[in-house]
This record gives sequence, C-alpha cells and structure tokens, in this order.
Amino acid sequence: MIRHLFKLIWNRKKSNFLLITEIFFCFLVLFGVLSLVFYNVRNYTKPLGFEHENVWLLTMQTATDSAALNHQNQEQVLQRVRSFPEVEYAALTSSNAPFSFSQMNNVFSAGSVKGIQADVYEVQDDFKDVLQLQLSQGRWFGVQDNASNHEPIVINRAMQQKLFGQEDALGKLIQVNDTTNFQVVGVTDYFRAGSEYAAEEPACFTRINFEKNPTYFWNELLIRVKPGTGIDFEEKMVKELAGIGKGWTLEVSTLEKMRQNKAKLTMIPMIALGLVCGFLILNVALGLFGVLWYNISRRNSEIGLRRALGAASGQIYRQFIGEVLVLATFGLLLGVVFAVQFPLLHVFQVEPEVYVTALLCAVVLIYLLTTACALYPSRQAAIIQPATALHEE
Amino acid sequence: MLKNYLKVAWKVLLRRKFFTFISLFGISFTLMVLVVATSLFDHAFGPQMPERETDRILFVNMMREQGKEGYTSSGPISYYFYDRNIRPLKTPEMISVNSMFFQVNSYINNRKLALDIKYTDRAFWDILDFHFLEGNAFTQQDVKNANRVAVINEHTRQQYFGDAPALGQDIVVDQVKYKVVGVVENVPVLRVQSYADVWVPVTLKSQDFNKPGLRGTYFATIKARQPGDIPKIKAEYAAMMQVLERQQPNKETRLFSFPDTFLESFARTLLGKGQEPGLGILYTILAGLAFLFMLLPTINLVNINISRIMERSSEIGVRKAFGATSKTIIGQFIIENIFLTLLGGLLGFVLSSAVLWLINDSGIIVYAALGLNLRVFATGLLLCLVFGLISGVYPAYKMSRLHAVEALKGGSK
Repeated sequence: MIRHLFKLIWNRKKSNFLLITEIFFCFLVLFGVLSLVFYNVRNYTKPLGFEHENVWLLTMQTATDSAALNHQNQEQVLQRVRSFPEVEYAALTSSNAPFSFSQMNNVFSAGSVKGIQADVYEVQDDFKDVLQLQLSQGRWFGVQDNASNHEPIVINRAMQQKLFGQEDALGKLIQVNDTTNFQVVGVTDYFRAGSEYAAEEPACFTRINFEKNPTYFWNELLIRVKPGTGIDFEEKMVKELAGIGKGWTLEVSTLEKMRQNKAKLTMIPMIALGLVCGFLILNVALGLFGVLWYNISRRNSEIGLRRALGAASGQIYRQFIGEVLVLATFGLLLGVVFAVQFPLLHVFQVEPEVYVTALLCAVVLIYLLTTACALYPSRQAAIIQPATALHEE
Repeated sequence: MLKNYLKVAWKVLLRRKFFTFISLFGISFTLMVLVVATSLFDHAFGPQMPERETDRILFVNMMREQGKEGYTSSGPISYYFYDRNIRPLKTPEMISVNSMFFQVNSYINNRKLALDIKYTDRAFWDILDFHFLEGNAFTQQDVKNANRVAVINEHTRQQYFGDAPALGQDIVVDQVKYKVVGVVENVPVLRVQSYADVWVPVTLKSQDFNKPGLRGTYFATIKARQPGDIPKIKAEYAAMMQVLERQQPNKETRLFSFPDTFLESFARTLLGKGQEPGLGILYTILAGLAFLFMLLPTINLVNINISRIMERSSEIGVRKAFGATSKTIIGQFIIENIFLTLLGGLLGFVLSSAVLWLINDSGIIVYAALGLNLRVFATGLLLCLVFGLISGVYPAYKMSRLHAVEALKGGSK
C-alpha cells in the first residue's frame, strides 16, 4: 500500500513539485524558529545562581581626574552606604554587574588546558552576601586572603569543567599571564549574569583589594537593601552621597528592572518572529487546504471508478490522507537532509540536543499540519457516491 | 480591453471565494509585515525630525584604536580629539560636538524620573532640525558662559511640570538646577545621536575639555554645504586621520574613525567591525531576508493560481481556438494577478496602519512615531507589484502552453 502511494506521488512529481517545495520551506522556517525557542527555553530553565531581588546598582561617574581624591571619596561613600539602616550589604564591582550591557573577558590556562575564555567579575568580599551566592565547594574570599601568596579566585562550575574536567579544582593554580597566578578557593554551582536567556558560560570572580589599590576607581556599587525599601530612601541616599562626591553623576537602578530590560531584548524579537512564523504557517496551511481540496475534487471520476470496483469509502479516505502524508515526506526528506547539518556541524556552538528536538518537533508539526489540511477534502472524496461521480463524466 | 480583463478578474474572484480569501490573506499579511519593517527602517534611518537633511549630515561616533597583537579598544571620541582634529576641517559648513546621553535620576514628589541627559553646543541646534513647541534652544552666549539652562522634551515636561507652564521654570536633574529655555517634540531613541530627554550646554562638562587621549564620551555632527561635498569631507577626514596615525607615539597603533551617515555608521559598527563600511552587506542581508520571507507566500500563491487557472482551461481553449496568442493570454493572467495583489495590497496597508498604531501605543520603542509616509507607501506598492508579477508569471506561462484541443477537453496533467 505504502509503496504504491510513493509510486503514485513519484509519477506525478512534476505537478506536485510546488507543494513539496512549499512543505520544504515551511519545515525550514519551523525548524529555525523552534531551534531559537528551544535554545532560549533551555537557558531560561537553568538557575541564575544568584538572588537579584532587592538589589540596587549605584553607578558613579567622577568629575575630577585626581585619583587620590576620588579613591578617598569612594571610601567615604562606601562607609556611608553601609551605615544606612536600610542597607544590608554593599559591594563594589567591575562594570559588568548582573544584567548590565558590559562584559569583561580574559583568557585562562591551568596545567595542560590553555586559552579558556571566561567572564571575569572583579568584586569585593561582600559580593557573595549581596547576591546571596551559593558555593558548592570551598569558600568565598575574605580578609584572610590579604596575606596569601596567590590572588584568590572563585570560579563557576562551567569553568571548573572546562579547566579541570572531573578533577577537584580547589587549591589549583590558574594562570592569566606569565606573572599572575590565581589560586582557586571556591566553586559556585551556576552563575549566569548576562541574562536569564544567556547560555551557561565559564565565569570567575576575582577579589577587589580596596586598600592595596589606591589609584583605581570602581564605578559600580551593588547594594542589597531590606525588603520594602522604596524610592524615598533612594532619593535620601543619592542626596547624601552627592554631598560626599562633589559633582559626581550618580545613577540608581534596580537589578529587577535591568533584568526586565534584558529579557525584553530576547522576548520582543522572539515574539515578533513567532508571530511572523505563525502567519507563514497559517498561510501555508490555508493554501495547502485549498489546493488539496481542488485537486481531490478534480479526481471525482477516478474515485467513482474505484468505488464502483468495490473500494470501501474508508479505503478512499485512507488513500488520500496517505497520499498527502507521502507528499509531506518528500518535502521533509529534503528539509531534514538540510537541517541535520546544523547539529552535525555544531553551527553557532549550540548543543546538538536543541537542534535535534527542534527538528523532531518540526517534523511532527508538519505531519500534523498536512494531515489536518487533508482531513476535510479526503472526507469529501470518501462520501462521493460512485453513481454520481461516474454520471458526471 | 483592460476594462474587460478587470471585469473578468472580478467575476473570477467572486466565483471561488475560498481561494480568493486565501490569496488576499496571504498577500495582505505579507505586505503588512514588510510595510511595518520598512516603516521601522525609515523611522530609524530615513530623513526625519531632527535629522531631516540626511544627505548633508555626517556623524562621527567611534574611535577605534588597534595596537599590535590585535588589541583593540573603541568608543566615542574625546573632546580633545574633536577640538584638535575635527574642528579645523575646512570643507564642512558647521561642526557640532555633543556628548553621548547619560542616564540620570530626577526625583519629584517621591517619584523617580529616569532621564537621559546630553551635553551639546550651539551648532547642534543649527545643524539639526528640532521641533520647538515652546521657547528656543540655548544661545551661543549660554554655551560660552556655561549657564545652567536646559531644553527638555515633551515627555519630560509632562512628567515634571504636568499642565503647569515649563518655560522659565527650574528643573532639578541629578541634583543640579537648570532653567528650562525650550521644549521640543520627543526624539525617538532609535536616533541615538540626537536622542535625549534633557539637553544642556556642553561647557558644563568643561573638566573634560583638556583630558588628552582620543577616546571619550563625545560624538561629532558635521553638516556639509551641499550634498556633493560629502565625499570631500570624508576624504579630508581620512587624510587628517592618516596624519594623526603617523603622530602616534606607538608606531604600530592603527586608528579608525570615520564620518558616516546614520545608516553607514550603523552598518559599520554592526557588520564592518568598525572598519569596513558594511553598507553593502547590510543591504544584501535585508534584501535576502525580504526575499526569504516573501518566498513562502509566493509559492503558496503560485500553487493557488495554478489551481485557479486550471479551472479555467476550457475558457482558455475557447480563446485559443478563436486565435488568441499565448502572449495575450499571459498578459491577461498577469493583469488579473496584479489586480488581485493590488487589492491585497490595499488591505495590507489598512492592516499595517493598525499594527503601527499598536506599536506606537504600546511604548515598546521609546517615543516611536511610526507612520505610513510616502516613502514607505511607495516601497509597499513596489513590493506588491513584484509579488504579483512573480506569482503570476509561472502559472500564466504554464497555461498559455496548453493546446487548444486539450484545453477544451478539460485541462492536462
């Protein structure tokens, strides 16, 4: 039966060519959009690795060039912020605070593994409490590291796996350049600070030693406030701090708001793409439906003849659905040959599972779609009375 | 003859209502998406307030320093660089320096207002074409004396002053008090070089002026005397950059900075890695995307058209038997199809104006005022015709090759 159907479609490949092409492109569109959706959903379901509620980000821009003065003012600002009763913890950080638009990378090596690119976060000791990081191994850095030989570093699991594989990372040395070595003191489970939709990348934290570095000015201060602290405290804080840093530009935003901004950047294109894709598919479905209906209704005489020769209406029904499924298979075969290249060649460095799931889902969806489009026309064909059909001829 | 064709086309449309619906749905939605995209593009890059004379304005946004070993850093330019290297240029009519925008907070009645502030000189207001609702831009004297005056946009006035008059009042931004001298229409955020909520004199940031170095927080806006001067300005700028590169203390350092039109600068940052123009690639990508997007609906339309024309094979047979050439028949079908696409196009325009209204209303893009202007309309119409032609030619060609006898018998495989 199936071989027969394949033969039928193959013999009419010329007149079915356009339908097959349409299914082929439809599959590609679905595959593309589903890959994107699955990629983002997969990332979204992984934990962020930190708590961003009630955390504010204070950005400071200095007015003068005097490094000593700025450093001194910064120390005062830090003290003042920590002394507010509304503030639980505060920590200076490099400009790549969570959900911000800036990134800092460096290349690390450990032992025989060389050249691993990782996000670097320069942070103060309180950073762990501000973001409530959970360490799976080792400890966070603190004052006891003031005297240690190597700079302490905390890495995330992705980085541990890339640098050390299954080995224990604690106490190991990580090299940045010929003169600098970091010693791993702790490992966190996850840390994805870019956005909820970002993939899990290697990341590490290095320690800001405020006293040892009297010339540098850190622009960003992360502050964990008590729940329920509102805008009136923000105004009060900014006014007081503006009094310490004369002429500084101070800007306060909440991590929650920054998270929403970042999420929008992913969501809006995805929604727009989804709508466009939905429209394309609907368009194709309607077209397929119309064309199938027309084609089947033109084969009245053939159906009449088969019925007259004793075919049951169920057989006719199944034949037409079968024909459409075979048609879809031709289009899909072409499409799948094209689409499997993506997981095989690791295009865009996305895990193969994402592509494979998207591929399977797209195949299933196309089959469902074509079957749905063929249901009504096939039923129309199946209920034709042989006498009427043959009479028409 | 044409009238006759149209009459026939109309009758055919009414005959198979379902097919007509599918065709019109496909055409109008495809066109809607394309028109919305075109409108966004025009909104971001077309000649609109405040950059109305796009063919005479160039922007310098980036300075990229590339050392040996591939180390690069890039960002907006410094005032120092502007003062020493851009200002002395001979060809331009006017040159303005303005800072990038900074987000600052303003507090009113326990409410926070996050505003974007931009520091500009007087030439900024002469080069660009802002719509002033009240008052005027600050004067050369204001800039010279570093007066604390500000031009604000409509949105800020509404948020800060409500219905009370704004002109002459004080506004406190980032703990600094400014006097409002003018109110302008909102500038959409896509116009990065001009956008802000509050504009104040650049001299208030005079501590930046003597910081040496090439990179800082400033943009330069250059206006040419006439559009023909643009290549000359670019050449003069390139020559200046070469001289500058030779003066660098480190001989290996390479510098990249270009005066670009808005679209060029976008393409250069995004696709040209800050060095190559990238405009060609951008156009190719856009055309490719539009083509891919139109492909599915077109195939769909071709499919439906074939079915629709097949039905009319007896009509074609009769016409052929009476001596109509293939050419006339192809012509007729193409005219019919263009008629259909134009009808769909009309619907598409109605749909797209609804969608654009939705986008404007939702505030997804800050201060967006997307609309259907003549440029967008013309692009849409052109796309419509292309659509109609492509999807009409193949079915018409296929049908015109039918032999009269076969066609009269009722079509062929």
